[in-house]
Amino acid sequence: MARVGTTRDPLLVAAVALTVAAAGAAGWGGLSWYEAAHDDSAAYAQVRDDALAAGEQAVQNMNTLDHRKVEEGLDSWEDSTTGDLRRQLVEGRDAFVKQIESAKTVSSATVLSGAVTELDDRAGRAAVMVALRVTVTAPKGEPAVKESRMLGQLTRTSGGWKLSALGQAPVGNTAG
Amino acid sequence: MNERAGTTTVSTAKDTQDSEAKDPVRPAAPADDTADTGPTRETSRRWPRIAGAASAAALLVAGCLLFAEGRQLRDTAATSNRALTDPEATAEVVGEVSNALGRVFSYSPQATAATKASAKEVLAGKALVQYAALFGQVEKQAADQRLTLTSQVVRAGVTRLTGRGAHLLVFLDQVYERRGKAPSTAAAQLSVSAEHRGGRWYIVEITSR
Repeated sequence: MARVGTTRDPLLVAAVALTVAAAGAAGWGGLSWYEAAHDDSAAYAQVRDDALAAGEQAVQNMNTLDHRKVEEGLDSWEDSTTGDLRRQLVEGRDAFVKQIESAKTVSSATVLSGAVTELDDRAGRAAVMVALRVTVTAPKGEPAVKESRMLGQLTRTSGGWKLSALGQAPVGNTAG
Repeated sequence: MNERAGTTTVSTAKDTQDSEAKDPVRPAAPADDTADTGPTRETSRRWPRIAGAASAAALLVAGCLLFAEGRQLRDTAATSNRALTDPEATAEVVGEVSNALGRVFSYSPQATAATKASAKEVLAGKALVQYAALFGQVEKQAADQRLTLTSQVVRAGVTRLTGRGAHLLVFLDQVYERRGKAPSTAAAQLSVSAEHRGGRWYIVEITSR
């Protein structure tokens, strides 16, 4: 019986150790998952990337317009914006349609690079800077290519991030 | 042999287990040390072992799955980029790179040597090589045309930031002043790569956009 007792004990000890280790692994895995699932900086990083993607697309849309498809283009402008900026676009739409149809220009834009410079994910506000290449083709002459640097303000809406302000980064007078 | 054969025939007529239990000294039974532990004790001792091993394995698997799930949540393309999620590091790289660009892209006919010296402090790698090639012309131009260049960063943003490297988008204003002429301003967009070495950020590549 004594011999049986000594052969059983190490087995029992090993079994208990394994169970404790397994419980430890489960606890550690659970903790790690919990921390990851409640990691604010991971969520913030995702919001930043979402805002940048939406911002770049919106800035590109706002620099793209084909006189043969003005209504479609301006719909995309309105779809990319919110607040004051959208209101201005809606109010000036008719005049703008006439202007583009008489100028017969086609503008297309490519985003070269973009970055989020500010992000307040609680307030739903972000600032982006976008380097852009815009090609404008008029009925006569060669297409004009120019690099453009734009600053935009984004606001989160129920339909995603939209531009609430957009303008060229000012040249000169950079004191402010 | 005859006796055993006879027992088997009898036991098949009755319940097999019953006859085994009733007859502990049957020669057919295993004649080891474990002979005294009957089949009921065998199973009652095996079941807790199986249950224990199964629950230990289940815990282990659960732990691994949760850990893997957690990693997947945390280690995404978005989280490996610390731009803005680490505000201090973001502000630091923006500040140091902006300051460095202002220094290397500003010069006056009297102070090209100072600009050259500061370039060696803030540039490294490919950027330093490119700059050295460019600066030969700049030095001559500055002297010949009495040209002064002042560069100032209008806006800089971090597109990607890790522990060792960063990529930035920089809007730069460059004011050219020639003696006797009105100054002119040029707008530049630069993609800048920087590396963190010895506690400081060095610009390693500059691409005009």
